[in-house]
Amino acid sequence: MMDITKLTAYETVKRIKSGEIGVKETLLSYLKKIEEREDLIKTFILIDRDRAIKKAEELDQLEHKEGLLFGLPVAIKDNINVYGYEATAGSKILKGYVSLYDASVVESIKRENGIILGKTNCDEFAMGSSTENSAFFPTRNPVNLEYVPGGSSGGSAACVAAEEVAIAIGSDTGGSIREPAAFCGVVGLKPTYGRVSRYGLIAFASSLDVIGPLSKDVRDAALMLNVIAGFDAHDETTVDIKVDDYLDILEGNIKGKKIGVIKEVMDFEVQKELKDALESSIQKLKGEGCEILEISIPYLKYALPSYYIIAPSEASSNLARFDGVRYGYESDGAYLREFYENTRTEGFGDEVKRRILIGTFALSEGYFEDYYLKASKVRRIIEMDFENAFEQVDALILPTTATTAFKLNEKKSPLEMYMTDIFTIPVNLAGLPAISVPAGTDKAGLPVGVQLVGKWFEEALLLRIAHHIEE
Amino acid sequence: MSKFDIEKVERLAGLKLKDDERERIKRDIDEIINYFDILKEVDTDGIDPLVYTKWTRLTLRNDEVHTGLTLEEIKKNRKLFGNNFFRVRRIIGE
Repeated sequence: MMDITKLTAYETVKRIKSGEIGVKETLLSYLKKIEEREDLIKTFILIDRDRAIKKAEELDQLEHKEGLLFGLPVAIKDNINVYGYEATAGSKILKGYVSLYDASVVESIKRENGIILGKTNCDEFAMGSSTENSAFFPTRNPVNLEYVPGGSSGGSAACVAAEEVAIAIGSDTGGSIREPAAFCGVVGLKPTYGRVSRYGLIAFASSLDVIGPLSKDVRDAALMLNVIAGFDAHDETTVDIKVDDYLDILEGNIKGKKIGVIKEVMDFEVQKELKDALESSIQKLKGEGCEILEISIPYLKYALPSYYIIAPSEASSNLARFDGVRYGYESDGAYLREFYENTRTEGFGDEVKRRILIGTFALSEGYFEDYYLKASKVRRIIEMDFENAFEQVDALILPTTATTAFKLNEKKSPLEMYMTDIFTIPVNLAGLPAISVPAGTDKAGLPVGVQLVGKWFEEALLLRIAHHIEE
Repeated sequence: MSKFDIEKVERLAGLKLKDDERERIKRDIDEIINYFDILKEVDTDGIDPLVYTKWTRLTLRNDEVHTGLTLEEIKKNRKLFGNNFFRVRRIIGE
């Protein structure tokens, strides 16, 4: 008998629509997988079997099977609001907070008849690269349980890799979709800043946060982007420019396209198998008739310190709203000030407190110019570096990470953890679209990812190139 | 001496760490802030700071009435709710 959970999201919808498989049948296959594997991997913070089954039964009754995601089980990262479900963003301070509305991406998924199966684990407020910063429990890498799944969208990456769901939604502020996708061996797409609405995403760093899919293959990423892309009046940073049919353009050839290899990447220590994977992807592109050029991003190494000033600065402002008065965790205190401090100190975990403190410091009188302002100027220079690069090439290729997944509790200091994001962060600073595609495994059997970066709002070409290099 | 006065920054951030926690977190932050020093190598004279990419435009919404959350909905997330208001701790007399 066919194992439905092996199918891609695209194939699943196609077979449901043709009547070959049922919606409830599909859902039950995934629920069975969840039952078998979830205790070990722990990807979900919340699973709502009953509501999902009820929805599946309703869809099975319909005569016209309409919607791009008809009957497809989808998982949502827990920092995104789904009406009626708790949204904790992996934090104790939001424990008990129930969403009063759907995020725009969730609304779009429901409109296309996708089924929300549950909420996935993540680093607290999406701050982390391993999902170990979740206030509730760490998620494990389904490929090898001793290893982290990456983060912060670790739950979303792991549940797709473990075939517990057909496709998942994550968020990416400095690599939080691409890094876990690479570590778990799935596809992770970070769209252009402004391509997908963040309305209903619990904000971390508003000038960097983007929502995107984690999927089994590039076609599935294109399918989900078709559903979630576009202008939204609820998010004024979304840009009102044409949305392509990303599925339609996938197959076309990429002959004559210019692909840039970033020279400065090799200044960093990169694990051998990742260099090899990059090289074989480059060979594939050459085989497809692409022209490979060496490109310089001179200020690449300054992206990381710039990001770790800007992101915490924005976070310190965004997270000021969590004061225990209107929702979530509340502590004690005779006076208001004491109550605020107790609630926040008990409600936030270590990494979140570190970032709030760094951000508050970087914005404070006497330090603003040397830190926040300086970092924002460096950000401009990095954006200009990319602009220059894209005058010469159509896309860039580089490793998603410098190493494959690491073991739980392996990273000793926060700074060491930050270094994990060296190749993903520059892309967020410039607001560009990028995708991580699986490219084999290392000698320990851990997945390797290759990253492609496209021009602003040119996800169509980015996905097409990615489709050509995926295995 | 470190320029990072953690107790001052805690007050600004609405946090109050326990002593052992403060020591641990300060050590980490000192290391991180020292790392930021490499930005000094970059000449940023005459460069405008970048906050949003060039695609982002601040637009005005049409002046239309929309329904927001109802009082009943808002109350769902807080047990202690006064007569149409959030209840907070004492402010005067601190």
